[in-house]
Amino acid sequence: MRKSFPAEDLARDERFVRVPLTARMADARQVPREATGKRRNGGRLTPDRPDSPEAARVLMHGIFTGEIQALEGAGRTCWDFNVENTAKRKGADDDASSSDAPEVPFALKLDMARQCWDEARHTEISIKLGEHMGTEIGEFAEATFLYEAACNPDPVLRLTGVNRALEGLAIDVFNTMREFGDVSGDPVLEFCEDWMLADEVTHVKMGSDWLRRLTEKDPERRERALEFQRVVDRLFSLGGFRGEEEDSPIRLARRFRELAGFDTTEIDELAGDALAARQEAEEMIRQNRQAAAAATAGQ
Amino acid sequence: MADPKRPRAPFAPWDRRELPGIFSVEESARRVGNYKWIEMRLFEVLGGWVATVPELDVKMRLGTHCYHHAWHAELWHKRLPELREMNPDRLTLPPNDELVAFVDAMTEPEAPELTIEKLVGAYRVLIPHKIAAYTYHLNNTSTITDAPTIRSLKFILQDEFDDWRDGEMLLQSLIDSPEDVERAAAHQAKLEKLMLAAGGIVGPGTLGHADGSGNHSGASPQEATT
Repeated sequence: MRKSFPAEDLARDERFVRVPLTARMADARQVPREATGKRRNGGRLTPDRPDSPEAARVLMHGIFTGEIQALEGAGRTCWDFNVENTAKRKGADDDASSSDAPEVPFALKLDMARQCWDEARHTEISIKLGEHMGTEIGEFAEATFLYEAACNPDPVLRLTGVNRALEGLAIDVFNTMREFGDVSGDPVLEFCEDWMLADEVTHVKMGSDWLRRLTEKDPERRERALEFQRVVDRLFSLGGFRGEEEDSPIRLARRFRELAGFDTTEIDELAGDALAARQEAEEMIRQNRQAAAAATAGQ
Repeated sequence: MADPKRPRAPFAPWDRRELPGIFSVEESARRVGNYKWIEMRLFEVLGGWVATVPELDVKMRLGTHCYHHAWHAELWHKRLPELREMNPDRLTLPPNDELVAFVDAMTEPEAPELTIEKLVGAYRVLIPHKIAAYTYHLNNTSTITDAPTIRSLKFILQDEFDDWRDGEMLLQSLIDSPEDVERAAAHQAKLEKLMLAAGGIVGPGTLGHADGSGNHSGASPQEATT
């Protein structure tokens, strides 16, 4: 088996439909929605929204596919890297492809194996919750950008991108869903999201701890890793998808992020990026509206 | 109430534990190092395979089992210093090149249509061999002096039996034609031959020797315990 496994080869059964991010952005059906001036992401998920059951199901399915990819990413980290101190000795690491692989501490691999179990459990929970909410596997398209972040060949960047950026996003998403379960009177949803949230805080903390330990004497590598994290974070703040505003679809969960090793400056920076992304999206909508109005006037 | 000053036997009548065991400290450490090495190879490949299998139920089981074997590797890693091996990496080794060849062959399948081969390697060959080696160790080590290893072996064997059953049931549900039966059997035979050449997961003597000795170095049980 290869070291490093590309996202396009991720194995799925025939129920799954994969849509590349570029195709999703270019989907013509998105344009009229922007032209109407409504928030592209629909705003905060609340029970009084007429589309909230559908929006919750879409989000749940997104969580489900995200959990599969998180499982796959953690699994690949167990396989893709050699263990420090044993890599050059007699053993399975003698072949050329293995000996070229970067080295990581044994304990890091143990953490990733633990994460595999957690993500497998989250996939199980997501399937059950999807059924509970009335959706089915493959009903909505799958995007693979989560797994793509887990393909970084530098283990520090991979851990930072996945465990701090993406698992950090998972904290925000699960907290949002947990609150939705609470206000919509769905104790099953609230219960499950609360349990998954506990695991995600652990995963983000793993990322924070390994970033600190592996870059203790290499500030340049740490900065590269944090920059990679910022890139991934910005991707998920696109269009104001995540933010601190009351109507943000996904709200930053400050308290849980602090538990997971984020400091206030980092969270403030994330909130600032999210706000800037939202303002950009609103400006784009305004320009689209103007263009649509001009086109109507010219007819 | 019984008189608390009255002498009691240090070993209760139902406590049948005995001092003799066939493994020296050195031999135990060597085996434990081999155990750690094979557990590492197993959890790594189970993790790697997750992305390559299209069957969702298999994907999730592999993710769960990946951690079980990582935990076993951790237990053995922690046991090594207690067996006077202060550098656990030094003994984290395969017993011989033949076992390396077995692991290479077992971890080779990658394509999405090879789920049967992946599961056969882990659940019909390696895990049964691990169960055999661990059971042999459990049944032959000193029940008093090597109690910490016994405790780990019991926890680990529980996982191994559970995981073996999961894997075997998945295989039985995937094998649905005579051709699949032959595929599974052919791959199993190929891997069993490699395991045979290795002599088991700790090399020749994994399950003792025909003369009844269990020590890899050929020492008699008496020599090993003195």
